[in-house]
Amino acid sequence: MAPLTINDVRKSYGALEVLHGVNIDITDGEFVVLVGPSGCGKSTLLRMLAGLEDISAGEVSIGGRVVNALQPKERDIAMVFQSYALYPHMTVKQNMGFSLKLARAPKQDVRDRVLDVAKTLNLEDYLQRYPRQLSGGQRQRVAMGRAMVRNPEVFLFDEPLSNLDAKLRVKMRSEIKQNHHRLKTTTVYVTHDQVEAMTMADKIVVMNAGRVEQVGSPLELYDRPANIFVAGFIGSPAMNLIAGRIVDGHFLGSDGTCMAVPAPAARLEGQEVKLGIRPEHLVIDPQGHPAEVLTVEPTGSETLVLMQLAGHEIVGVFRERITLAPGKPLSLSLMPDHIHLFDTQTGLRIPLSPEN
Amino acid sequence: MQKQSTGYLFILPALMVLGMLIAYPVAYTGLLSVTDNAGNFVGLENFRRVLAARATPIAFWNTLWWVLGSIIFQVLFGVMAAILLNQNFRGRAIVRSVTLVPWVVPGIVAATTWAWMLHTEFGIINYMLTAPGLIDKPIGWLTNGNTVMPVMIAINIWKMFPFVAIMVLAGLQSIPNDLYEAARIDGASFWEEVWYVMLPQVRSVIVAITLLLVIWALNHITIIYAITRGGPANKTLITPIQIFRTAFDGMQFGQAAALSVMFFGVAIVIVFIYIRTLASNPEEAR
Ligand SMILES: Nc1ncnc2c1ncn2[C@@H]1O[C@H](COP(=O)(O)OP(=O)(O)OP(=O)(O)O)[C@@H](O)[C@H]1O
Ligand SMILES: [Mg+2]
Repeated sequence: MAPLTINDVRKSYGALEVLHGVNIDITDGEFVVLVGPSGCGKSTLLRMLAGLEDISAGEVSIGGRVVNALQPKERDIAMVFQSYALYPHMTVKQNMGFSLKLARAPKQDVRDRVLDVAKTLNLEDYLQRYPRQLSGGQRQRVAMGRAMVRNPEVFLFDEPLSNLDAKLRVKMRSEIKQNHHRLKTTTVYVTHDQVEAMTMADKIVVMNAGRVEQVGSPLELYDRPANIFVAGFIGSPAMNLIAGRIVDGHFLGSDGTCMAVPAPAARLEGQEVKLGIRPEHLVIDPQGHPAEVLTVEPTGSETLVLMQLAGHEIVGVFRERITLAPGKPLSLSLMPDHIHLFDTQTGLRIPLSPEN
Repeated sequence: MQKQSTGYLFILPALMVLGMLIAYPVAYTGLLSVTDNAGNFVGLENFRRVLAARATPIAFWNTLWWVLGSIIFQVLFGVMAAILLNQNFRGRAIVRSVTLVPWVVPGIVAATTWAWMLHTEFGIINYMLTAPGLIDKPIGWLTNGNTVMPVMIAINIWKMFPFVAIMVLAGLQSIPNDLYEAARIDGASFWEEVWYVMLPQVRSVIVAITLLLVIWALNHITIIYAITRGGPANKTLITPIQIFRTAFDGMQFGQAAALSVMFFGVAIVIVFIYIRTLASNPEEAR
């Protein structure tokens, strides 16, 4: 366990800069998830923490010690790779004990420690098997076991679940979470799956194109996204965004639809804004705005409806059983407390109330 | 059942051609080994004579040294070169191509060139050693009984290690990069990476290549025959050359065939033992 500080870290490949100054503070024992679209630099950042990639500028410190110049083995970290990277010619036991063996730990200690970890991960029966004789989920557990055996200061995960099927992913997700509760090891976890991020993280770091867009707890990001990117990225289905501007204290959509917005918006008179509303914050209301149903997707517990509103295709999620058919008209209103406004120019969130 | 026999019918023509090409020479050698030059059946007389020849045990031991010496260093240098060529450094592509040169040069050309380079009076090697005073007087590399076999082995190593290097390099390049990274995170030094990650991953390649090298070394003629013809004083006489000379210098085709048959038997046994002990590891991961 150790705090981890990332201070204005940059990465360039030749003239191409792919990380443009990243700052993240991670406290002792925290579970931090790096999330962002493909190619935004998550893996690069993680590999820099691991020492597999040089740090072009800035500072990384683990446990108060600057590690920029240290080799991976001197950083006291362990990493779980997306491909698991198990040694194919070693048994599960040898895979898990490899780091201790390299550290010249006494044979008996290695055996005890491996057995210990294998027990917590339910791998005892597989210790003599080779990786190719294991299922995907078992391999994943071995990869985690290999990291846990060393009892490192920091765990690094790079999309460890992306090779598993949906059901197993959910199961492993909670296993990783449970392990973290037990071990309390500082963890940095990379994923591009925002559901994984929401469910696992103490703190989420949303990245985009080599920059940090927002850092916060899952619900903070959900309730108060700092900008349009985070608003669109966190939450599934994504937040609906409608372009327009503020006229007479109302939101006027580009097609002329006029919607009521919270009073503080009046000070934005004339400004181009985007109105954001999450799918579950739309309600069917006879007094509402006219919309047209495009498609209906019942999932059982709720119904996803794609609609045309104010010239935009928007998604609504309704928990009540409703009978809707494509092409039919519908009347919608927006829950006023859950309306977000974003500055069209800068993309930044416009605060509408002190706590919102 | 019906289907299977139909299958045999289809491959029958190919089997017959192959059978002729492979079985006929073998069978004919067998026939030769029990007849004299006039074609009369002589029983095991040829075997008796060739085993009684003074050159035969000499050639046997020479062959053993030749094969062992060549194989060990070909594999050793080949693997080391492969590991080196697998590292990232400037000009790697050029070094890789240059390494291949000995393998590409035709054996007879290489042999002639080396013969000149090793010439006692005019060879560049003696010149380079005597000029700066490393040795007092020229060494008769090819005439001295103590140096000639090691020199032949050295040339063979030079000729074949690039082949090993390229094959092992191909194996090394198929190792996923994240295995190395995992090893680095687990705390492996460069040599530990070589020992615990690289070598186990190319083990099967090395085993297969070694088998090829053994077969090639056992059947070798070109370099030695072109440079020394087995001399001086039979110091480089290996069995294939003895067979060749018995047949074409001595015109004793029957005895040459008898020696071939025995050599063939020994070679088969060696290859068989090798495959049984080294090449079959049921636990080998894949
Ligand atoms: N060796 C390299 N040379 C040049 N550019 C690179 C190199 N490695 C990565 N990049 C670039 O850096 C950027 C970030 O890559 P990175 O692998 O960190 O993305 P990522 O966020 O992990 O994406 P994904 O979710 O697809 O894994 C990408 O635009 C990529 O093209
Ligand atoms: Mg990645």
